Amino acid sequence: MTENIQTAQQNIYKPAIMKIVARHDEAPGVRTMKLEFQNPAEHELFKQNYRTGMFGLYGVYGEGESTFCVASPETRNEYIEFTFRQSGRVTTALANSDIGDLITFRGPYGNRFPIEKFYGKNLIFVSGGIALPPTRSVIWSCLDQREKFGKITIVYGARTVADLVYKHELEEWERRDDIDLVLTVDPGGESPDWKHRVGFVPTVLEQAAPSPDNCIAVICGPPIMIKFTLISLKKLGFDESNVYTTLENRMKCGVGKCGRCNVGSIYVCKEGPVFTAAEVSKMPQADL
Amino acid sequence: MTIQETYKTRAKELLSSGRVKMVVGYKAGSTPDRRRPHFIRTPEEADRLILDSACIANLSGYLITEGLLSDEKSVGIFLKPDGIRSLNILAAESQLNIEQIVVLGFDVNNNEITSLKGEKAEDFSTLIESLKEHVPQTPGNPLLERIEAMNDKERFAFWEAEFSRCIKCYACRQACPMCYCRRCIVDCNQPQWVNTSSHTLGNFEWNIVRAFHLSGRCVGCGNCDRACPVNIPLRLINAKMAHEVLGAFDHFAGMSQTQEPVLASFKKDDSETFIL
Amino acid sequence: MTRILLRDKLDNCVARWRKAGLTVIGPVKKETFSSYAAVENAAELDLSMIMPDRSIKGLFFPQTEPMLHYTIKKQALDIKDFTPPPEKRIIFGARPCDASGMAIDDPLFGWDYKDNFWFQRRNETVIVTIACTKADDFCMCTSLKLAPDSTKGSDVMLRPLQNNRGWLVEELTDRGRDAFNEIADLLQDGSEPEASIAVVPEKFDLDACVTWLQKTENFESTFWKEISMRCIGCASCTFLCPTCHCFDFQDEGDTYSGIRRKNWDSCSFALFTMHTSGHNPRATQSARWRQRIMHKFNYFPGKFNVNSCSGCGRCSRQCPVDMGITETLQAISTLQP
Repeated sequence: MTENIQTAQQNIYKPAIMKIVARHDEAPGVRTMKLEFQNPAEHELFKQNYRTGMFGLYGVYGEGESTFCVASPETRNEYIEFTFRQSGRVTTALANSDIGDLITFRGPYGNRFPIEKFYGKNLIFVSGGIALPPTRSVIWSCLDQREKFGKITIVYGARTVADLVYKHELEEWERRDDIDLVLTVDPGGESPDWKHRVGFVPTVLEQAAPSPDNCIAVICGPPIMIKFTLISLKKLGFDESNVYTTLENRMKCGVGKCGRCNVGSIYVCKEGPVFTAAEVSKMPQADL
Repeated sequence: MTIQETYKTRAKELLSSGRVKMVVGYKAGSTPDRRRPHFIRTPEEADRLILDSACIANLSGYLITEGLLSDEKSVGIFLKPDGIRSLNILAAESQLNIEQIVVLGFDVNNNEITSLKGEKAEDFSTLIESLKEHVPQTPGNPLLERIEAMNDKERFAFWEAEFSRCIKCYACRQACPMCYCRRCIVDCNQPQWVNTSSHTLGNFEWNIVRAFHLSGRCVGCGNCDRACPVNIPLRLINAKMAHEVLGAFDHFAGMSQTQEPVLASFKKDDSETFIL
Repeated sequence: MTRILLRDKLDNCVARWRKAGLTVIGPVKKETFSSYAAVENAAELDLSMIMPDRSIKGLFFPQTEPMLHYTIKKQALDIKDFTPPPEKRIIFGARPCDASGMAIDDPLFGWDYKDNFWFQRRNETVIVTIACTKADDFCMCTSLKLAPDSTKGSDVMLRPLQNNRGWLVEELTDRGRDAFNEIADLLQDGSEPEASIAVVPEKFDLDACVTWLQKTENFESTFWKEISMRCIGCASCTFLCPTCHCFDFQDEGDTYSGIRRKNWDSCSFALFTMHTSGHNPRATQSARWRQRIMHKFNYFPGKFNVNSCSGCGRCSRQCPVDMGITETLQAISTLQP
C-alpha cells in the first residue's frame, strides 16, 4: 500500500522524468518501452512503493498523460516497462518517441496483487491480446520466486498471430518445463506454420480444464473476454473470490481527486486496479 | 377555450390517436415564474401542460438528443417562431427528418400568448418570411446600442471584461439547439484547437469560435443567454453576427428546410471573389 | 466575554486588514452578476444579498490553475513547479453554506495525497461568515443537516444584530482569532439584540434518500431516466457548486515549452468518461445525472462521512431547465425504499 509520502509543500502532480532506454514493437500499433529513472530520489521512492499490480500515468509534455499498468514486476524494479497501443493523442506522441528521449511517469498508484496469498497454490493466468502486460507483471513476480508456487499454467490468445505480444517471452516460457503454456489465436487468425491451438480463449481454457482445487486464477483482458472467461471458470468450479482481475477506466489524476474513474463507489485508481471477480460482480455493472 | 386549453386538447388528441409518441411542451417550474420542459407520453400527462407568456425556452434541441427520433415515430413539439426556424435549420443540416415533427406553434409578444395556425414547419413559412422583412434596422436593445456606439478599442475592452467571467461551463453550447456536434471543437484534442482554460485567451477563443460557428444559424432564441451562469450577454454577439450575415449575404437563418447554410455554400454572385 | 462589530467600523477593519497585508474579499454585486471579489473599502461590499451567484470555491480551487512549467531542449527536460503565489486573504461575509462547502472538500483533497494547491490557499485564508437572516425558495441547508448559522468551515462567525447595526463576533479558530486581533480595538465589548436567523424549511428527508441510494437494485431504476429527461448536460450546476471538485489536466504550449494546467471538469459532460477505445461507461445523460447524485449522497459520504452538498441551492437556482438536487432528492424521498 502506498504510504502518504507527500508533504503539503510537495506538488503531488509533478511526475518523475524517465529516459527511454529500449523499445520493442510487439504487434501492429503496439509497443513496449523500457524506462529508467533520471533522478535517484525519484527512483528510491518508486522502489519503496512499487508492488506488482500498480499502475502509472505515462506522459509526454505538451500532449498529456495516459494510464497504463507497470508491466515489469516488483522483483525487477531497476526500470519500468510498459506496453501501449497507439490510439490517441498521448499514445501517438509516445509512439513517436525514440530511445534517449525523456518522458514522464507519475506513480506508482493503486493497489497490488496479494501475491503472498498465492504461495503454495497452483496458478492459472488467462489473458487476451494487449491485456497480457498486467498479467505479465504477476507472471514474472511468480517466476522470480518459482519455488513458492505449485503448478503454473498460462493461457494466452490474440486475434491473430501478429497480435500476440511479448513474443520472445512466450518462446522463453514455452521452453521452460516449470510452466504449462497454452497459446491460441482466434479462428481464422492462424498463420500457415502456427503450431499451437486455434480457438477463443475461454474455449481453450475449458479444454485445458485446470482444477480449481488450491488454485488462484488471474485474468486480464477486454471486457468481453473477461465475461466469458469468468463463465468458463465458474463452469470449471472456480470460486469468484479466487479469481483476480484488473479494471481499467479513464483516469486523469490517479490519486482519487478528479472524480473520473469510479465504478459505483469504487475508485479504480485508489481501491484498484486489482480486484477479485467477487468484488467486480458487486459493482454496478452499468457503470463499468 | 383559452389558448392553453386549446393546445392541451390538441396535445391529447395527438397522443391518443397515436399520431405522435410524445409531445414536448412546458409545465410548471419550481417557482411561479419558472417553466420546465415537459415530456408527455400519455393524454393524462398532458394535463400538466402549461402554455403562457413565461414559456420562452426554445425546446427544439431535445428533438435530436439521445436518438429521440431514431425509431421513426412522430413527435409533437411546442415551438415559437424562433423554434420553428431552429427546426428548419436542423432539417436543412440533415439532423432530423422534418416529416416526423408535428409543430404546435405559438408566439409570445408583450407578455401575451398567441396561437399560430399550422402543423408542419412549412405551414409557417409566410410568417418567417415576414420576420425577415421586419428585422429592425436599429438594435432596439439598450446594451446593444451602447456597444454599437463604442469604437473598436472600447468594444474589445467591453467584451474582454464580459468574457473574463466565463468559466467554460459550455452551458451556452448545451442549451443551443444549433450546437449539436457530438464532438465539439473544444473536445478535439488532436490538436487541441481551443483551450479549455478560462484565461483571457481561452475565453475569447471559445466565445468567438462559437459565434462564428453560429453565424447564419443563430435564431436569436436566447437559450444561451439564459443558460449562462455568469450572465454574459451572449445573445448580443450572435445577434450582431446574424445582422452582419443578413447584410452581407441577405441570409436569414431558418427560412426553410432546403435553405443552404450560408458559410457552407458559395454562389457566383457572392460579394467575395474568391472562395476562401 | 462577547464582542460586537458595529457596521460603521467596517471600513476601518478593511483598511486595517489591508495594511496587515491581507487581501480583503467579500460579496460584490455588479450590474448583471454577483461574486466574491477583492475590495479596497467596505462600500464595495454588498452584504445584503442572499448569496453571490458564485461560491468561494474558485478562491481555493480556481477554474484554471498552472501546476507545472516545462521546457524541452533536445533531450533535456526542465520542469518547474508552480506553487500558488503566497497571498494572505480574508473573506468577509461568506455564507455558511459556502464555508461548509470548503470543509466538505478538505478530506477529498487530503485523501492520502495532499493537494498543496488547495491546502496552501486554505491555510492562507481566513473565512469570516455572516449568518443568514434571509433565504429564498432554493436554499436547502437545513435539509442537509446544516443551518443558516452553521459554523462548519468558518474561522469567525458573525451573527447579525437587529436594525443592521452590526454583528456579534464568534471566533472559532486560531486563524480567526489572529485576524480579529488585528481589529481588536475596533470591536466593542458587550452584546446587543440579534436579528432573527432565516427560517429554511426542510425540503426532503435526507436519511430516506440515502437509504434508497444505497440499495443496489435502485442503481438500475427507471427513476433516473424519468427525473433527468430534460437535463442538457451543461455543467452550470457543477461549476457553481461549492463542493464539486472534478478536474482535468491540459497541457498548453508546444513541444518546446508550456504549462500543465488543472481545469474544472464535470461529470455531466458527455465525454467525461469516454475511453479512447470509444467505450463510454456513462453514455446517456441519465447515467451521468445518476452519477452526480450517487457521488454526492452515497459514494462521497461512504468515504468521508459527509455529504458532498452544503445546501446552497445554486444548482437549482441557476439550472437553465429548472432541475437541481432539491427536486431529485424530493422525488427520491417519496419512492419506496
